[in-house]
Amino acid sequence: MDVRRLFYYFKIWLFMSKNSFLMVLNQKSVLLIFLIGKVLRFLFFIAFLFFLVSGAENLAGYNSTQSIFFFLSFMIIDTTSQFFFREVYRFRTYVVTGDFDLILAKPMSALFRVLMGGADVIDLITLPPLYAATSYVGNLLSPTPFQVFIYLLLLLTGLLITTAFHIIVISFGIITLEVDHSIMIYRDITAMGRFPIDIYKEPLKGILTYFIPVAIMMTFPAKAFMGLVNFQGLLSAIVIGGVFMFVALRFWNFALKKYTSASS
Amino acid sequence: MNKYLQVFKISFQQEFAYPLSFVMWRVRNVLQIFVVFFLWDTVFSFRESVLFGYDRDRILTYVFGLIFIKAFVLSARAQDVAGEIARGEIINYLLKPVNYFKYWLTRDISSKTLNLIFAVGEFILLYLILKPPFYFQTNPVQITLFLISIGLAILTYFLLLFIVNAIPFWAPEMGWGGHFLVTVILVEFLSGSLFPLDILPVNIQNVLSFTPFPYIIFFPLQVYLGKVTGILLFKGIVVAIFWIIVLWFFMNWVWSKGFKAYQAYGR
Repeated sequence: MDVRRLFYYFKIWLFMSKNSFLMVLNQKSVLLIFLIGKVLRFLFFIAFLFFLVSGAENLAGYNSTQSIFFFLSFMIIDTTSQFFFREVYRFRTYVVTGDFDLILAKPMSALFRVLMGGADVIDLITLPPLYAATSYVGNLLSPTPFQVFIYLLLLLTGLLITTAFHIIVISFGIITLEVDHSIMIYRDITAMGRFPIDIYKEPLKGILTYFIPVAIMMTFPAKAFMGLVNFQGLLSAIVIGGVFMFVALRFWNFALKKYTSASS
Repeated sequence: MNKYLQVFKISFQQEFAYPLSFVMWRVRNVLQIFVVFFLWDTVFSFRESVLFGYDRDRILTYVFGLIFIKAFVLSARAQDVAGEIARGEIINYLLKPVNYFKYWLTRDISSKTLNLIFAVGEFILLYLILKPPFYFQTNPVQITLFLISIGLAILTYFLLLFIVNAIPFWAPEMGWGGHFLVTVILVEFLSGSLFPLDILPVNIQNVLSFTPFPYIIFFPLQVYLGKVTGILLFKGIVVAIFWIIVLWFFMNWVWSKGFKAYQAYGR
């Protein structure tokens, strides 16, 4: 893909995001209530983790600061992906009403449109404080610059895997017309990454590392930040992320061929 | 009475109209239990002693108890009421010889029955997979009070739902927002559905004990585990009944105001 094409898509994304933001900002009371809800959920969970790990003295060997950092790293990937991919939550309507035909007919990638067509302004508002909180708590762990670099690299790998997950969900939606619960199941599975993956036992731990790579998405970045991921771990994370994305794109192409446009 | 029995039957059958959707809802419940189970299993894995007032058997029983309590208390069709108000569909019911409140309570009971049937299957499955130690309550008085506290929890949650459902009378676009804040965030954290409230500092626990939220999940499980007995148990039941009365009057007041403000947009 050349640079001009990238700019073309970036301009489209800005345009779609602006429209999406205007729709939400038009209902300020709704925006406020969801914002309050998200902030409360975040604060409640941080408080829960703090009291739990302080009382238990540690969680799978991690102290309260480290446990909170795991949670914040989870939140970065989760909230960033929700900010970009909120449109996925509306995808079912496109398929059941036949409006997906109109998206397929446009001169741009249909996958790009259904994946990134409705950025979420509420998540955008919560992201800067979240990044600031993560930086603050991360600083308490005194990482080396190299550890920070690996952390950022693994966060990007995590975002790649979460993108792949969202592609799989919408592809599944084309075939089965089921999106709402699929996306929530995805979120329930990834919610296992709110805690260090070390709390799970085999074979679940292995499944969450290699088959549904929640560990790589959510736990590996924070572990790398603490200097607990070696070179093989880093390499396998990147490879698994790439393979997962490849499989997701193949599944999307397969699902598109199954689309019957039955409702249009 | 017969018409509500018919509502029960129809509602029960409707749950099977989208079987994949229902199965996925249950899968979500199982996944949530998995997370909580492993979290507490890890916390207690190297610990023989009591933590937050729980030993290993009791805390894992609390987690498994969540399967039943959530299936019985939190599964509710009444959350669709806000949408009916927002779309103006509620006026269809107002013209029919049915009590709208009883109609949805019947639908809720139908949903709870189905969810409970599945919860039993999930419980057996998870029990066989995870093989947790389990605390069996044998005191018949405690079991009876546990069942009473579940009944009170169902009513409390139903009334809370109906109060939140009234928001679209004034702001049709805020139906889901109200649910998100009250039933997804506040009930999730303050009812004990994610973690036992005992881990919080005593001051916070004391404040929470005067709100309706702990009586939805936490209190019934405490009664089952035998952690609340005597005067504390009596106090808990009294506070739960007090909240039901307050919520009942508040719901009636909100709904009567809501009907006066309602303009049935969309119809």
